[in-house]
Amino acid sequence: MIQDLAPLVCGLLLAATGAAKLFGRRTAQIAANTVLVRVLGNRHRAAFALRAVGALEAAVAAGLLAAPSAVVPGVATAVLGAGFTGYLGYARATAPETSCGCSARDEGPIGTRSFVRAVLVLAGGVAAAFAGGTWWHEIAGRPGWSLLVLAAAAALVAAVSRDVDRVWLPVRRLRLRLFGTPLPTGSGRRVPVEASVELLESSLAWQASAPIVRSALLDHWDDEGWRVLRFAGVHQDERGARPVSVLFALDEEATIDSSPSPAVRVSVIDDDTQEAILLDLLALSGLRTPLPLV
Amino acid sequence: MTDRHDPARRGFDRRRFLTTAALGGATIVGASALGGLDADAAFAAPIPSLDPAIAKSAFAEGRITAIKGSVLEVAGSYGDRHLIQLTNATSIWKLRTTTADAIRTGDGLYARGVDMPDGTIAADAVWVNIVNLFCTVRGIAKDRLHLTHGSADHEVVGRIVPETTTASYLGGALTPDLSRVRIGQSAQVLGAWRPEDDTVDIARVTVGH
Repeated sequence: MIQDLAPLVCGLLLAATGAAKLFGRRTAQIAANTVLVRVLGNRHRAAFALRAVGALEAAVAAGLLAAPSAVVPGVATAVLGAGFTGYLGYARATAPETSCGCSARDEGPIGTRSFVRAVLVLAGGVAAAFAGGTWWHEIAGRPGWSLLVLAAAAALVAAVSRDVDRVWLPVRRLRLRLFGTPLPTGSGRRVPVEASVELLESSLAWQASAPIVRSALLDHWDDEGWRVLRFAGVHQDERGARPVSVLFALDEEATIDSSPSPAVRVSVIDDDTQEAILLDLLALSGLRTPLPLV
Repeated sequence: MTDRHDPARRGFDRRRFLTTAALGGATIVGASALGGLDADAAFAAPIPSLDPAIAKSAFAEGRITAIKGSVLEVAGSYGDRHLIQLTNATSIWKLRTTTADAIRTGDGLYARGVDMPDGTIAADAVWVNIVNLFCTVRGIAKDRLHLTHGSADHEVVGRIVPETTTASYLGGALTPDLSRVRIGQSAQVLGAWRPEDDTVDIARVTVGH
C-alpha cells in the first residue's frame, strides 16, 4: 500500500517545490546564491536552469498524480532524486557555503536536511515505480490506513523541511501564552554579580580609576551587605610602576535601576607590601565631582 | 563566590583583609557615561594606556593550540601566532570570572595585554570562547533558547546556565529573571561558545530594543 500512495506524496511534494521554482518571484535571487552560477557561467543561466528544473518537477508531478500506476513517472522521480543527491554532493564538495535552492524558499547552506530530502525523493520514486494500483483506489479501499500513512509521510516531509519553522512559530507562541514560560523567573535570587559590575562600570569611581585598572574582574565576594569587586592594576609613582589590587565595594543590592548615582568605595592596595596607597583618584584622572544640581 | 579559594582558609583571611581595606577607601559618588573594560569591551578597540612607558595595549585573538604552564600558544584567525603569558593579575573570563584551570586546548580566545620585549603578550585580561551574537528568538525551552542569526538564519542553541544566565530588558539592569524573553524578539546574546557540541552557554541576553 505504501508504493500505491507514494505517487500521491511525491506528486504533491514535487508540485509544490516545482511551482515555487517555476513561478517564484525570488527564484533569480536564490539561483544567484547556488553553485549553478559557477557551473553555468552567469546568474541568468543559473536562474533559467533553476526554473527549468522547476518545470521538470511540475511535469513529473503531473505524471505521478494522473498516471500513478505507470512506471515512467516513478522512474523519472527516482532519476530526479538521484540528480538532486549528486548535485548536492557536488555543491557540498566544491562550494559548501552556497544555498541548495531545493525548495526555492530555502536559503540555508547545504546541510543534512537537504540530503535527506533528496534521498527521500529518490526512495519515493523507486516506490512509485512499483505501484500496482492507483492512489485513489487505495484511499477508497482502505481510507483509515491510507490517512495514517499520508499523515506519517506529511510529518516526515515536515521534519526535513525548513519552511515549516514558520508554521511552528505561532504554535510555539500560543503554547507559551497558554502554559506560561518555562524559563526561571529568578525570584528570590540575589542581584547577579554582572549587575554589580554593570553598575560599577557606569560609575564615576570607575572612570576615575581607569588610569590604574588593567584587568577585567578578577575576583568578587559578598561581606556583610557589601559586594567587593577586585581588579588588577598598575600604579605609577616616583619609585616606578607597581602592581596593585584595585578594590571596589558597593551595596550588594544596588543595580543601575535602583542607583542611578552609585556610591562606590575605592581603595588601591600595593600587591607587594599589602599596604593601602592613598590616592586622590578624581584629581589623578583629571575628573572633578560635578556640582549637585538643585 | 569564584573558584579562587586555593587553600580555603588563607583565601578567606585574605578576602577579610581586602574587605577591610576596600571599606577603608574613599567613597566616590556619581555616574559616568563611559564604558568599561569588561567582557563587552573585548569587542571594542584596544584601550590606549595612559601610561607613557607603554605605547599601547596589545590585542590578540585566535584558537589555543597548546598550553605550556602559564603560557598559551594561540593561532590567530589570519595566520598570525601569539604567545600569551598569564600572570596572577590576569583576569580570566569563561562564561563567568574564573581561573586559568578552566582554559582548554582548542578554546577560542580574546586577550588584551602588553607587548613584552621577548615577543610574548603579558595578558591583563583574557576572554575565553566569548561570542556576541545578534539573534532572533525562535523557541524557548526550560534550559535553552533556540536562536537564529545572520541572513541565512543560522540556527544556534543557547543554553541557559543556572545561577549564571542573566537578562536585560529595555536597557534595564541585568536580572536573573529570564521569564520576559518572548519568541520572535531580537536579542543580543553574550556567551561562551562550547567547542564540544557547538552550542553557546548564555551569560546575558539583552532584549527589547
